[in-house]
Amino acid sequence: MGEVVYRLEGLRYAYPRTTASFALEIEGLEIRAGDVLSLVGPNGAGKTTLLALLALLLRPDRGRLEFLGRDPWASDEDTVRSRREAVIVTHHPYLFRGTIADNVAFGLKLRRAAEAKIRTRVGEALSLVGLGGEGKKSVAGLSAGQAQRVAIARTLALRPRALLFDEPTANLDAELGLRMESVLRGAGREWGAAVVFSTHDFSQASRLSDTIVYLSEGRHVEFSHENCFSGTASSDGRTSWIEPKPGLRIVFPGEVRGPVTCVIEPASIRLEALRDGRAAETPGPNAFRGRVCRMEMTGGAMALVRTAGDIVFRAALPLRELEAAGISLSTEVLLTFEPRSVRVLGERPAGPPEPS
Amino acid sequence: MIARELAFAVWVSLKTSGLAALIASAVAVPAALFLSSREFRGKRLILVINQTWMAAPTVVIGLLFYSLLSRSGPLGGLGLLYTQTAMTIGQIVLILPLIVGFSYTALRQVDRRARPTALTLGATRRQAGWIVLREARFPLLVAVLAGFARAISEVGIAMMLGGNIRGATRNITTSIALETSKGEFRNGVILGVLLLAITLGINVLVQTGLRGRDGAS
Repeated sequence: MGEVVYRLEGLRYAYPRTTASFALEIEGLEIRAGDVLSLVGPNGAGKTTLLALLALLLRPDRGRLEFLGRDPWASDEDTVRSRREAVIVTHHPYLFRGTIADNVAFGLKLRRAAEAKIRTRVGEALSLVGLGGEGKKSVAGLSAGQAQRVAIARTLALRPRALLFDEPTANLDAELGLRMESVLRGAGREWGAAVVFSTHDFSQASRLSDTIVYLSEGRHVEFSHENCFSGTASSDGRTSWIEPKPGLRIVFPGEVRGPVTCVIEPASIRLEALRDGRAAETPGPNAFRGRVCRMEMTGGAMALVRTAGDIVFRAALPLRELEAAGISLSTEVLLTFEPRSVRVLGERPAGPPEPS
Repeated sequence: MIARELAFAVWVSLKTSGLAALIASAVAVPAALFLSSREFRGKRLILVINQTWMAAPTVVIGLLFYSLLSRSGPLGGLGLLYTQTAMTIGQIVLILPLIVGFSYTALRQVDRRARPTALTLGATRRQAGWIVLREARFPLLVAVLAGFARAISEVGIAMMLGGNIRGATRNITTSIALETSKGEFRNGVILGVLLLAITLGINVLVQTGLRGRDGAS
């Protein structure tokens, strides 16, 4: 196991001088060298705030944040020294005036690195993000995707102990996104850096990270993977839906278009046994026939229901209710949930797409 | 007006106003950086006072310092009245709020992400401050040049604190006032054009120099 890079205990942070009641509260979190950890959650869940705390750009109001076994806020020197080992790339990164190479060399110059080392590191970092040979170009007029790659290269050139990324592939096309994913994974697995990134893409989080931290309203919450569905949302103006599999339409309120991930809390799912293949009431939106394929009795009872298209929903119901409804393993059931109980991650309001 | 007198007046104008712009900028730009990067109680009041001070007539500042520096005033013992130093002090007080105001606006327009980006890349707080200043270098230069232009073109302070002494404190603007009062309008106009030409030349030189150094961006 790698060295502990971050240890968080009873951490709390609230933005000063705001009327919003948001506060990030993390009971405990440990991130080790070589770990790749993703932060998943809806907008406003606290992902960016947690990343800013890990980057030591915000100071916790309460609790303890240890970086490499030390308190990074012990003195100004400690803070600067620690920040130099924990570098963040924000969602919309800022590039300084000058060339691409000037930007990538920026942090190395602050560290007074030797000229030869700067040249080598800049060249390597630019190659990693697919911008090799473009160092002399001005940053003026770069697209959002190119700017993000320059910012990622600027961070990679520093080889810090902790690499923090806020939606690192949000502005990139699919091919470059995959390339960046491999760079992220490499930074963790090959360089031994602790990599923390936020994403709205649950499948990206599952694919890349060893640990997924799901944040909701500023808190670390547990979530099962079974009730997460990704797809491209369509809308009729009043309600929206995704179809993770043909014939399986998950409906939710509001007008949302574009790629989203939907999460349905297991406790909000209702099950009804189907007698003679007939439902007791007329199915509305979000009503699916399926068969109980597994029962779990850890904590409350969990029934795993496999529906058409081989999709598995996890429903949490008190055991008494399951028994009263006559539901047991292999029972054919009607599974329903309210559109309003669908939580949408990565929501993008309807309208023209942002230029990239 | 003989050429040597004219050259001396130009020299006095450049020296007092140049020094005033430099000294005022050394105070005003850090003050603007502080004001633009911090939120605190009373900040709005400071900005309102600064804005009001920007509109202060030169004769009012001249009168204030005259009363302070005159022989019977509290600072009379320093013997500064009717010296180039007194003119420079008056001009500093005149242009300080102007440079603070312009610099504050310039720094507020720097992208808010610049400072945290510098910090995350390893800058100390002081380095981050310098980096923010560098990002705003053109509008900051405009602020300093505006201060210089205000100082070199004012007449009230130069007249009241310098006294328009030939070969000592007479500068371009007090020379214009003198020539006009003598009825030598032609000389006054020539001096006015010269003043404008000097200001224009300095602006062009500094802006060209900076753009040349900035290269590709």
